Amino acid sequence: MGSYRRIDCIFFSEFHPTLGPKITYQVTYIRHEFFYVYIITKPELQNKLITVTAMEKKLIGCPVCIEHKKYSRNALLFNLGLVCDARTKTCALEPIVKKLSGYLTTLELESGFISNEESKQKLLPILSTLLEELNVTGACTLPIDDSNTIHLKLIEQRKDPLVVQEYDVPVFTKNKDHFIKSQWDLTTQQILPFVDGYRHIQKISAEADVELNLVRIAVQNLLYYEVVTLVSIFQYSNVYCTTPKVQNLIDKKCLQEECIHYVSKLGQRTNLRDVFQLYCGLTPGTTVRDLCSRYSHQLQRVDERKLIQFGLMKGLIRRLQKYPVKVVRDERSRPPRLYTGCHSYDEICCKTGMSYKELDERLENDPNIVVCWK
Amino acid sequence: MYKQWSVDLNADAKLMWKQSESSLQPNGEKTSPISVILVSSGSRGNKLLFRYPFQRVSENTSSATSKQRSPYALNTSGDSIEDQDGDSREQTPLTDEQLVAGFSDIILATILATKSDMCGKKFELKIDNVRFVGHPTLLQPPHTIQANADASVINCMHNLSRRIAIALQHEERRCQYLTREAKLMLAVQDEVTTMTETDGTPQSPFRQILPKCKLARDLKEAYDSLCTTGVVRLHINNWLEVSFCLPHKIHRVGGKHIPPEALERSLKAIRPYHALLLLDNEKALLAQLPLDCSPALVRLIKTCSAVKNLQQLAQDADLALLQVFQIAAHLVYWGKAIIIYPLCENNVYMLSPHANICIYSPLAEQFGLQFPGHDLPSMLAKFSLPVSLSEFRNPLDAPVHEAQLIQMVVWMLQRRLLFQLHTYVCLLVPPVEEEPGLREEEPPLVTRVTGRSLSTPSALSFGSPTSSDDMTLTSPSMDNSSAELQTGGDSPLNKRMTETLLASLTEHERQAILRVPAAQNPEDLRLFARLLHYFRGHHHLEEIMYNENMRRSQLKTLFDKFRSVLVITNHEDPIISLFQSPPD
Repeated sequence: MGSYRRIDCIFFSEFHPTLGPKITYQVTYIRHEFFYVYIITKPELQNKLITVTAMEKKLIGCPVCIEHKKYSRNALLFNLGLVCDARTKTCALEPIVKKLSGYLTTLELESGFISNEESKQKLLPILSTLLEELNVTGACTLPIDDSNTIHLKLIEQRKDPLVVQEYDVPVFTKNKDHFIKSQWDLTTQQILPFVDGYRHIQKISAEADVELNLVRIAVQNLLYYEVVTLVSIFQYSNVYCTTPKVQNLIDKKCLQEECIHYVSKLGQRTNLRDVFQLYCGLTPGTTVRDLCSRYSHQLQRVDERKLIQFGLMKGLIRRLQKYPVKVVRDERSRPPRLYTGCHSYDEICCKTGMSYKELDERLENDPNIVVCWK
Repeated sequence: MYKQWSVDLNADAKLMWKQSESSLQPNGEKTSPISVILVSSGSRGNKLLFRYPFQRVSENTSSATSKQRSPYALNTSGDSIEDQDGDSREQTPLTDEQLVAGFSDIILATILATKSDMCGKKFELKIDNVRFVGHPTLLQPPHTIQANADASVINCMHNLSRRIAIALQHEERRCQYLTREAKLMLAVQDEVTTMTETDGTPQSPFRQILPKCKLARDLKEAYDSLCTTGVVRLHINNWLEVSFCLPHKIHRVGGKHIPPEALERSLKAIRPYHALLLLDNEKALLAQLPLDCSPALVRLIKTCSAVKNLQQLAQDADLALLQVFQIAAHLVYWGKAIIIYPLCENNVYMLSPHANICIYSPLAEQFGLQFPGHDLPSMLAKFSLPVSLSEFRNPLDAPVHEAQLIQMVVWMLQRRLLFQLHTYVCLLVPPVEEEPGLREEEPPLVTRVTGRSLSTPSALSFGSPTSSDDMTLTSPSMDNSSAELQTGGDSPLNKRMTETLLASLTEHERQAILRVPAAQNPEDLRLFARLLHYFRGHHHLEEIMYNENMRRSQLKTLFDKFRSVLVITNHEDPIISLFQSPPD
């Protein structure tokens, strides 16, 4: 796992009946006097995940209080925490700390694991193992006693994925064959054959015979794990233009290789100049069809659909969508629903079932409608 | 995120903001504090001096009825700020009250009052969904104040707390301001406690503090300002000014905030040929400035214009160029201006992908009011294909009409509805295996920039008399700056220069260039070699013109001659495109 999650220290702290708060065990040393108030806390803060950042260190703990008459002072207070460098991204560690505090609580309630001095000693090797394994592999499976095992895993937190629209097209970011289908849920398995980088959500739903919303959710799930990304529907009438990122193709050798490999026709190999010329040939007002006729030589070795796909996936080009806007209307007519400037041709055609050509014909003859491209 | 402020007296002073992890309201509440708190710690123990907003006394902390949001709920804010623990998820929302009520005054005093060892260093505490950021400050010597934080929002809050801390420190040393205010606060609290004890009605002591205590009112104002505009202006003890802005609130672009680091990077890349476009009219902007602001700033605001580049601006405002850069960066940082390329005939504009073209948008309404008889979507439709300013204007129109069209373009630029396209050039020679002779003639250069070669001096009817195309460092002489290359013809010196310049290329590249028919002409080859370092796709036409003191037509002719080894494309300038997306 990335070193940015490195744990510097694991400690076990408790409230000793006479000595007060102390660190009973720690694996690698930390200065702890400053943190006591956050480690062994007042009741209001118990069972809460507490992260303290000070003195260039971050300390994450979850103070636990178990009340029972059998304990001196009628309560057992302890806290198992981690210490990292202050710059560490620690959100993945938080569930670990919470889980550990839960484990220890269970162990104590079941068998007095902590209050028994003898069994408590097992904590030190446990802490050592935890520290080592979490830092090296990001996971740890540790038997504590005959009936209890700790299972821990650091899970990467990801951003919430975008909403998936019916006219979006999912395309695999990695080779589809590397996919272990059985790891995924049934819906995803069912739609997988239809995720080819050209079919849009609505089409996938129809052909795979899966309800539209389920397809959306499944694809969103794939998005979350960055297995797919979304591009727009491909048509020869589409218009694209370059973004500043197109220069990455010049700057980055690995991107060049990846691109040439991706866009070349089967059994052939194109070159950088041809590919770059093709991308730069995409301009506002130029359709893909136009590109094909102007650059027929370059396209001898390039699959134009893959060219567009790659360009969109890497942000080298962007699609210019058409938005019809009804600008003039008399007071009596209904307010426009779709021709407001908020809905693209893609969306309108998807929702109404019209083809682009049909929509074009309908709008061309309407003097009250202007079309914006963006 | 919530942050909490606390100020310790006597031993330490600490300013903290309290923030929660959850985003309750859409769009940007992650950047607003939820609470301002003042805590003191000293010989008499820890005390909570003041907090705002006030805690509701009869709080009900039972059952946190947080609505579970579906993990696929539409993220309208589109905010992808990661907090500094790396957590960028949307949290389940709890109400303000539940979060704030979770912490009584006493517990706050305990957990936020730090030992003096912690002073002068960053302090932060996260409890479940609530984050507290601390900045312990010593009021007695040694005065060590440091601010460092992880996420940039916290950084900024920290900055603000540090500034206030400095002001408080100063006033404390001068007239024990903080001690006096703290005494007042504690006195009111005692009063209220006594009253509560006698007549039994619970009251918030902090409400009573407000009218009596200037510092409390200042803190409240800071909190209110941060939550709304993101701009804070305080006068501590009616004397020291503390001003601050939270760029995350001001620079929200297409739903996403611009990280200050990106902003700063862009500001560093501004060049003398850029221009400053004010986002407010001059009068409104001047009215917002403090009385004691620098006269340079005032002069600059009065002199700046969309057609003037920064270098000209420096001359006209009688300021050093560096100063102009700094003031410009300042205005941009405060959201009062953006950086553009100065308006000129040959500028090509296109509709921005982020532009809101909906007929129901407030922008459409404003446009209709500003320019009666015109509607925004129709105007925007004209920029669906890139169009140059000269094409957009019709020279046969009346000058008044022309001027209005320019004003419309400026209006649209201010609202980031348009961005400008520039031409970028890249050297890419045909690959080894191909013989250029066998290939068909290359297709003509697809340059969208209009064919106008020389721009006429009085290009724009309302602006300055010169267009940017004539903007040069020195006199617009065609002879270039390198003195060695002045002698024409094929002198050995020139030849050597050309060879040196071409030496950075591979043999294959060099051969390909020399095979171009135009390379037979030593002048052309020399020029090409001299400009070689621009042909990596990172310098646009206007930059080459400015740096090399050349005309547009010269360059375009050169590109055309060498088109078999060059590839040309048009797109927005990535450096200033940061400023070209619309605010919320």
